[in-house]
Amino acid sequence: MSFFELLQESLPLFLQGMLLTLQLSVISLIIAMFIGLGSCLMNISKIKVLHWIAMCYINIIRGTPLLVQTFFIYFGVTKAFGLSMTALTAGIVALSLNAGAYLSEIFRGGIEAIPRGQTEAARSLGMSHGAALIKIILPQALRIVIPSVVNQCIITIKDTSIISVIGLAELTMVGSQIIARTFRSFEIWIIVGVFYFVIIYVLSKLSKLVEKRLSLAQGADTKFA
Amino acid sequence: MLKVQIQNLHKHFGSNEVLRGMDLDVEEGEVICLIGPSGSGKSTFLRCINSLEQPTDGMVVVDGKVITDKHADLDRIRENIGMVFQQFNLFPHLTVLRNITMAPMQCKKLKRADAEQRAHELLATVGLSEKWDCYPSSLSGGQQQRVAIARALAMDPALMLFDEPTSALDPEVVGDVLAVMRKLAKAGMTMIIVTHEMGFAREVADRVVFIDDGVIVEQGLPSQVFGAPQHERTRAFLEKVL
Repeated sequence: MSFFELLQESLPLFLQGMLLTLQLSVISLIIAMFIGLGSCLMNISKIKVLHWIAMCYINIIRGTPLLVQTFFIYFGVTKAFGLSMTALTAGIVALSLNAGAYLSEIFRGGIEAIPRGQTEAARSLGMSHGAALIKIILPQALRIVIPSVVNQCIITIKDTSIISVIGLAELTMVGSQIIARTFRSFEIWIIVGVFYFVIIYVLSKLSKLVEKRLSLAQGADTKFA
Repeated sequence: MLKVQIQNLHKHFGSNEVLRGMDLDVEEGEVICLIGPSGSGKSTFLRCINSLEQPTDGMVVVDGKVITDKHADLDRIRENIGMVFQQFNLFPHLTVLRNITMAPMQCKKLKRADAEQRAHELLATVGLSEKWDCYPSSLSGGQQQRVAIARALAMDPALMLFDEPTSALDPEVVGDVLAVMRKLAKAGMTMIIVTHEMGFAREVADRVVFIDDGVIVEQGLPSQVFGAPQHERTRAFLEKVL
């Protein structure tokens, strides 16, 4: 079989796999944004219990491999609590929790990079702590963290390949399945790699566009003075 | 009428005693200039008045409200106290107009149209009518500071605090900012100003307060403090700066 025959034959399977990879990535990342922002706000909160919970979450996730987390959720948690969970759900839970912890720290870095004077100015005008955070600090912080957030998105997209271990036929799994049948590992892994590359390349181009838009909306250079 | 009453104000940062028992009463419409060497506690003192720094001990009453009370509604009280910072602290992600309308719309629930009309009036007062649509980064330091003053005035405060408002400015624009402050003083605003501009203090202040090492060393009319300082430390300081 020539390379093009191989490609032609496996393309429908690959497209299905890519769809699943995209589904996993997009849903997980959206949930992770909320988890990340929520746990970040808990982390910087003055309420000790909230801070403590967030710290535990972040440390546990960052201190263990995603592979272990995935097994733990899909096999461990379901068994212990008698739940039934599809592989897709388990994959989304694992990826969201994982990315959420890293995003949380990225957001915290962004918030802490905003000069204290911004909060002081807002508070001196009579704005509450919450209003100052939402109207003044977060909009500035989110702009700063875009590159790091995009970076985390890229990592998470690639991490979906780990979810293949619980039997989800995403890109990487599709690749190994086709190889099992055709023994063409060299060509197939190249094809798999190209699929990931294209997804991530498109994402980084899009993010550059967003970054440009936002910086235009704020005047050419920002001196946070 | 008394606008501000400060009694026995203490502030420690760890073991470092920055304010060591300060008392000050300010009448309505009075303009007070706080002078003194850097590190003497002037700025900390000012920041205790709107509780940006929490005093370790002592009482601060502004417009009849005890701001040092544990149960004080700080947000409501601060609406009544405008503050202008050395570094301007404009919100860089908002236009000049939105910088000014943000707090009135957020805290006083003013309608956008009303807030904007007031903002345009204030911009006219500080001489920046045409800059309403600009972002802070495109303004000079002096323009930014005048916007900051307009932003504080938009809340219709009963008292204005100025923390070295001209110290971060290029010399040629200091005059523009001082002119706005002079106008404000003439209009009867109660003002407490930390400043190194001795000429301005002499001209505009009703009372000059000399602070050193966390205590009020001497206070009085500008002509008294500048002309015939009673205290050795005041004389030593004025000799260096005048």
